[in-house]
Parts: sequence; structure tokens; C-alpha cells
Amino acid sequence: MFEIGGKTLKSRLFVGTGKLPDYSVIEKMYYEAGVEVFAVAVRRIGPNTKHTKNVLEYIPKDAVIMVNTSGAQDHKEAVKIAMIGRELTNSNWVKVEIEKDTKYLFPDSIETLKACEILVKEGFKVFPYIYPDLNLAKELELIGVEAVMPLGSPIGTNKGIGCEVLLKPIINEIKIPVIIDAGIGRPSHAAKAMEMGADAVLINTAIATSSDPVKMAIAFSKAVEAGRLAFEVGLLKEYEYAQASSPLEDFITG
Amino acid sequence: MIRINDKEMEFCGNVLELLLSLNLNPQVCAVLVNGEIVKKEMWENFLLKDGDYVEIVSFVGGG
Repeated sequence: MFEIGGKTLKSRLFVGTGKLPDYSVIEKMYYEAGVEVFAVAVRRIGPNTKHTKNVLEYIPKDAVIMVNTSGAQDHKEAVKIAMIGRELTNSNWVKVEIEKDTKYLFPDSIETLKACEILVKEGFKVFPYIYPDLNLAKELELIGVEAVMPLGSPIGTNKGIGCEVLLKPIINEIKIPVIIDAGIGRPSHAAKAMEMGADAVLINTAIATSSDPVKMAIAFSKAVEAGRLAFEVGLLKEYEYAQASSPLEDFITG
Repeated sequence: MIRINDKEMEFCGNVLELLLSLNLNPQVCAVLVNGEIVKKEMWENFLLKDGDYVEIVSFVGGG
């Protein structure tokens, strides 16, 4: 159990619903992998748009909806998307995601900070997607966001924890939860994030684009639990040379 | 003539009537007129007028 954004959750695995072959797997992830938080995006819908199905209709009612502001180019657009999200879901959880470039999808730190300042004042539970930047994370903590969501590596790349040396200081210095988001491609990457002391991870591509999203969600769920347990116990230090597991005396000489 | 999601169309009526005429489920849509959110409880009273820019949004899978 852990507390985040005013809720008590069992699962530290948050899942993004983009790129899913079929929204019906969402309910299975909830029941079979124990996923409680699902991220969604806001887009135009209508006769001349690609999107015709509404993902909300597939999310179990006891699950937590995290509305992302992807597609926003600046803080004003992000605030507007957040408002629309709250209007439609009654969920005040918002993942602030502001990207100007589409090649790397790196978050725009300045616009993200501005959006978070406004959204915290508007009563949202704010979860900003950020670079692993300790100074920015501290600034966001000060203005009252619920958690920070630094990237492991660029979105959808499956490269894993590409910047451990930058993430570790955030985990060590920040008191609010740290959720590693983006780039985690394998359950072992997620386990590593949890071993490092992250409070949760958000996975989308690695689950959604796998051949069996529900099974992969279960795999991630177990990895997240394993990593977390290890972190709570405390990882052991590494040695240069062998440290015998069996006693090195009283050998049989025959 | 109004503009919906960048497409022009002839329409006369309120916001709710517009959604129904487009076969959209009003329960899962949000509507912006000229960039401002029109709250659900206002839909029936909100008459669209010539030149209005309407955006209809909903939720899709996202990370």
C-alpha cells in the first residue's frame, strides 16, 4: 500500500493506454495484473477524425484515471486540456506533458513549470513528466505537485534507465513520490527502477505493443513488486573479489 | 455556417443537437466553442451561431 495523489494504492505499476490493439485488455490488466492507474489522452473526436472509440468506457470504475496533456505545445494548452479532462472524468489527476519537438518528445521544462503552477492552484493533483533534472524537481516539489515523473529514456524507445546518475539524486533528495516514466522497455528495467528507490513506474509502449499486453502487464507487475521488496530490504554492496558463501575451513581432506 | 474540428458545415441548433446529429455519445464528449469549454449543463441552452468554431473532444488511449 502506498499513498499518492490523495489515494491509497496497492500497485506501483501505472499503465498508459496508448497504442493498445484493443481497449478491452484494460479491464483484464486491472483484474489480472492489479493495475490501478491508467493514463489517457484527450483528442478531437468526430465524423472526420481517426478516433471514434472513447477509452473511458473501457476503464473499470474503481481504477484511477490520469489524464495526460500530450499534444499541448505550451502551458496554456496544457491547462485547457486538464480542464477538459476534469470536466469529463471528474478525476483531478493530471499528467502534465508538454512537448514541442516530435523527434525526441522531450518535455519542455519552462512550460511544464508554468502549467504546474496554474494547475496546482486550480486544485488538480499534478504529475509532471520531466527530464531527470533535480533542480526542476525541487522547484516542482515547492509549488506543490503530487509527484514528479522523470523519464528513464525517450518515450517509446525501450532503452530502459538511460540516466541512472541523474535519476538517483532526484530519488534521494525529493520527498514527494518519484515515478519513472518513459523508455522502460522490459520488466527488468522496471525492477531496476524500483530497486533504485522509485515509488512507481509508468509503462505504455512495452506493454501495449507486446504480443500479449495482459501477460506483459502481469510480468511488469511482478517485476515492480520484486524491485520494491528488494529496495525495502536494502541492496547489498558490490565487492571486487569473491566472498565465499560456504565456510573456507574444515575442508574434507579424504 | 459553423466550423467543426476544422471542417465547415451548415448547422442550426444547440450544442446537444449538434452532437446527436453527428451520432456522437454526448456522455463521453466535451465541447469547446471558440476555444472555451461549454459545460454539459449549458449544452441545451447554448445556440450555435454563424461563424462559431466548435471542437468536440473525447478520450483516447495515451501514455
